[in-house]
Amino acid sequence: MIELRKVGLKYGDKEILNNVSLTVQDNTIKAILGPSGVGKSTILKLMLGLIKPNNGQVLVDGTDITNMNETSLYKIRRKMGMVFQGNALFDSLTISQNLGFFLRENMKLPEEEISRRVAEQIQFAGLEGYEEQLPESLSGGMRRRVAIGRALIFKPHMILFDEPTAGLDPVSSKKILSLISSLRHNNNLGAVIVTHIIDDVFNVADSVAVLYQGEIIFDDVTEKLHNATHPFIRSILSDKILEL
Amino acid sequence: MPVMFIRSLGKKLVLQLKAFFLTMQEFFLFSVRAFMSFPKIIRYWRDVLDQATICGTDSIPIVLVSAISIGALLAIEVGNLLEDFGAKTMLGRSTALTVIRELGPLLMGLMLSARFGSRNGAELGAMQISEQIDALRAFGTDPIAKLVMPRLVAALIMFLPLTALSDFAGLQSASYMAEHYHRIDPGIFWNAVYPRLVAKDFVVGFLKAPVFAVIITLVSSFNGFSARGGTAGVGRSTIKGIVVSSGLVLIANFYVSKIVLENM
Repeated sequence: MIELRKVGLKYGDKEILNNVSLTVQDNTIKAILGPSGVGKSTILKLMLGLIKPNNGQVLVDGTDITNMNETSLYKIRRKMGMVFQGNALFDSLTISQNLGFFLRENMKLPEEEISRRVAEQIQFAGLEGYEEQLPESLSGGMRRRVAIGRALIFKPHMILFDEPTAGLDPVSSKKILSLISSLRHNNNLGAVIVTHIIDDVFNVADSVAVLYQGEIIFDDVTEKLHNATHPFIRSILSDKILEL
Repeated sequence: MPVMFIRSLGKKLVLQLKAFFLTMQEFFLFSVRAFMSFPKIIRYWRDVLDQATICGTDSIPIVLVSAISIGALLAIEVGNLLEDFGAKTMLGRSTALTVIRELGPLLMGLMLSARFGSRNGAELGAMQISEQIDALRAFGTDPIAKLVMPRLVAALIMFLPLTALSDFAGLQSASYMAEHYHRIDPGIFWNAVYPRLVAKDFVVGFLKAPVFAVIITLVSSFNGFSARGGTAGVGRSTIKGIVVSSGLVLIANFYVSKIVLENM
């Protein structure tokens, strides 16, 4: 479980997050919806301890990681997988090497086990035949699937997606969303999805938090979003994609 | 009006000073973490070897070109000067001192600042803006241990033989020019070099290699890690890395010479 308690964050004089509280339960998919530049990705980085809040607390499985040092954080981070918006694949490594990179780096596993897990993710992501290709030779959707595979290969409890369908064509978006949905059913995984596309929320999320002007203005099960009265939510329900 | 202008200027100055000291603090912590990662050298020995090839073997041509050209030029110019005093036989001595103490290590430092430093800045900057460094942290790998420490160790190992190579090539080209331009017998040239060189001359020259290695690697890597704002940001951070490390190499060159020559 990941919990943010009254988190505030400023960059210089600019207030990014103000008194943000939200909880992500295990084995559920939580979406964080909001317009671009509102601080959604920042929330994911806070959950991983990549940045520290100015005030408030961040808890992972009940452990306060707010002021934890980098070495202790590495252990916490291994409970979570992250899919970055730009995929953040290592461009000089092949797909197989990208998938196995962190297993070789951080886990003392025999090479046979690493190869087995890599092959498992290749199959899961539908990338058979592309094992020895470099990321640059793959399409956007395929690269995203490699990034998901890389996050899953650790067998984390929770996986964090930063705009998983942004920049993808409708077919690739659909594939990625079905891949995310299948995670919970097949792997018992929890997930946090940051997005500005409201259809993604309705397609995969159990609950949704809406972030607007640095504050959470809605946090409940996805179905209740239709009944929300906040003018911003009403406007996004009619526009579907947030371009504010 | 002038009061307001001075006030706003003062505010800007204070902000810039604050930013400067913040950057210095971050650089200091970055450097400490890079040195503290040295125990992980066994884990990252392959990365150290890769970086040693990049900053060592691959840098040989540029170091040779600069050393040969400066050795030849020195022999011609100093030889002409010494000829006026009828002291052409001292060419070996003066060239050797200049090359071994000063120009050999300095030119190598500047060349490596441009070659190795720019590569570090651009590569790490591109990794920073494409979130690859965040990915390393997110998946539990210390990016400084993985990316900076191997570069630092490789530079510390390889800059010494490169300095020796630079000195050797510079003196060889000076000897060649002495023979073919000034008609000085190689025996006379080398006789003026070897017997008169003392330990101090080598200490000055070779002490600069690790100092330059630390400056070039840490400054360029820090600037790469600090890259922001897309591809233009990578360009800015790379240039900043080269300019700052080249400037620091020149300053360090002066102080190492001064300190060693005054104390030995």
